[in-house]
Amino acid sequence: MLKDITIGQYLSGDSFLHKLDPRTKIIAVILYMVSLFIVNNFWGLGAMLVLSLAVVLISRIPLRFFFRGIKAIVFIVLLTVALQMFMTPGEPLWELGILKITKEGIRQAVFMGTRLILLVSVTSILTLTTTPISLTDGIETLLKPFQKIGVPAHELAMMMTIALRFIPTLIEETDKIMKAQSARGADFESGNLMERAKAMIPLLVPLFLNAIKRADELALAMEARCYHGGDGRTRLKALQYGRRDAVAGVFCLCMAAGAFLTRLL
Amino acid sequence: MSLEMKHVFYTYQEGSPTESHALQDICLNINEGEFLGIVGHTGSGKSTLIQHLNGLLKPTKGEVLIDGININQKEAKAKRKEVRLKVGLVFQYPEYQLFEETVEQDIGFGPRNLGLSDTEVQERVKEAMALLKLDYKTLRKQSPFDLSGGQKRKVAIAGVLAMKPKYLVLDEPTAGLDPRGREEFLEQLAVLHRQGMTIIMVSHSMDDMAKYAQRMIVMDHGQIQLQGTPQDIFSQPEQLQQIGLDVPSLSRLLLRLKQRGLDVRTDLFDIEAVKTEILRAMAAREGKLTC
Ligand SMILES: Nc1ncnc2c1ncn2[C@@H]1O[C@H](COP(=O)(O)OP(=O)(O)OP(=O)(O)O)[C@@H](O)[C@H]1O
Ligand SMILES: [Mg+2]
Repeated sequence: MLKDITIGQYLSGDSFLHKLDPRTKIIAVILYMVSLFIVNNFWGLGAMLVLSLAVVLISRIPLRFFFRGIKAIVFIVLLTVALQMFMTPGEPLWELGILKITKEGIRQAVFMGTRLILLVSVTSILTLTTTPISLTDGIETLLKPFQKIGVPAHELAMMMTIALRFIPTLIEETDKIMKAQSARGADFESGNLMERAKAMIPLLVPLFLNAIKRADELALAMEARCYHGGDGRTRLKALQYGRRDAVAGVFCLCMAAGAFLTRLL
Repeated sequence: MSLEMKHVFYTYQEGSPTESHALQDICLNINEGEFLGIVGHTGSGKSTLIQHLNGLLKPTKGEVLIDGININQKEAKAKRKEVRLKVGLVFQYPEYQLFEETVEQDIGFGPRNLGLSDTEVQERVKEAMALLKLDYKTLRKQSPFDLSGGQKRKVAIAGVLAMKPKYLVLDEPTAGLDPRGREEFLEQLAVLHRQGMTIIMVSHSMDDMAKYAQRMIVMDHGQIQLQGTPQDIFSQPEQLQQIGLDVPSLSRLLLRLKQRGLDVRTDLFDIEAVKTEILRAMAAREGKLTC
């Protein structure tokens, strides 16, 4: 189960999307999200669906990665769909006591469900085709202009880099401690809610202690190598826009404009 | 009664681009009362193998039988706990498992999970601490996190010993202990072994293997390359060197002497026996020379 977490996973490859500048990809994802929520009729939603499929194909990432990502949020999707279906006021189609399904409800449910699934799939393309390092580099450069108004761009990016770096380590460690405690007869899989919560103590205590210790050591190691924040730091690989970024950028602007136009339909 | 592995394969992250075949066609039979040593270079699959011995990992293909219980089968789920208790597993760097407020409570975690009474748990804790030369009176109320690395290691191992498993599996238990602590620890293992416990130990130290193991397996790239008594194994130094391993230091000495033309036996591992053998061989040569 722990292995299903795909956030921050990167899959190396050399597709068009892998080669794009991370800044382009981040902006593209933002434009995509906006477009996804601008469209409000089925034509628009259908177009977004086709577009997303095309992007998935271009990325050349095996489909099962997307299914796994969707599996992880299946509960949230179902909950959203159910809430929309039953809570939206309007023309009732079916009624049972206080439960009623309306025509508007079904429409809303389809919209929200599709949007959520598309959102998760396309954002996971961002992380699947971009190494964490270039992703945070991209974020840092994009945030640079906001430094004037006090946004600590470099520090935020560094924090993100570190957090992303340690997700797999923490998952691995959880697995290891869980095994060690199971070998001592700990039971993580049965019992009622209270018992299960209590069974987590032997897992969480070592996990947190190790994480804190590791953070300490990391800080020390960074300081030992004279790390002192972002001022005056240069890069080995400076980010550079290329022709394909222009292509992708124009394409995304067209998408956003198109999304606006479908509203007028 | 025994631990049995029949044509076991294990693959990490099956089906993903990063999959790695950690075990390939492992057949192994471990009898009750044995002292089995497992050696192999880094990444050869030793830790993966031993995690099969108490059902923490299930084979991708093949069967593992623990006293006749097949850990792959559905009904084994009910017996999972039974299996885990039969086979005590001390992980590589077991100090990661410490979590309780005091040393006593931490060592007692396993026995408490067995459902023993408080007095029984206390007895077990005392016994286990004595086995590892940990002083019960001074340490019991201390926090395990305030101990030194080596002491933490011992407390963690005591936590498994306190469960009195029938089979004790240890993954590089002596890594990081000082020479004296290491010697003491291995002596205690030998005592437990004489009392009837089956011991399976992974180690990088060929000297320890030569001294304590009755039978050894040598792993390479997820497969068992050699198996037999330490004498058998260490009489094939070329094969060992080919997979990046070495023979015990005493064997190395004897082999070198033999290369230089001294007629010595090379299958001895005890320092006293080696000394007598070298003296004998030298005396024999002197004798020849004077004739
Ligand atoms: N959790 C895991 N996920 C993916 N691959 C793994 C995992 N654990 C081990 N492996 C891989 O399986 C192989 C065998 O690893 P294993 O830990 O069994 O080696 P080992 O013989 O115990 O090595 P060491 O002497 O370093 O402890 C290695 O190639 C390793 O990369
Ligand atoms: Mg190992």
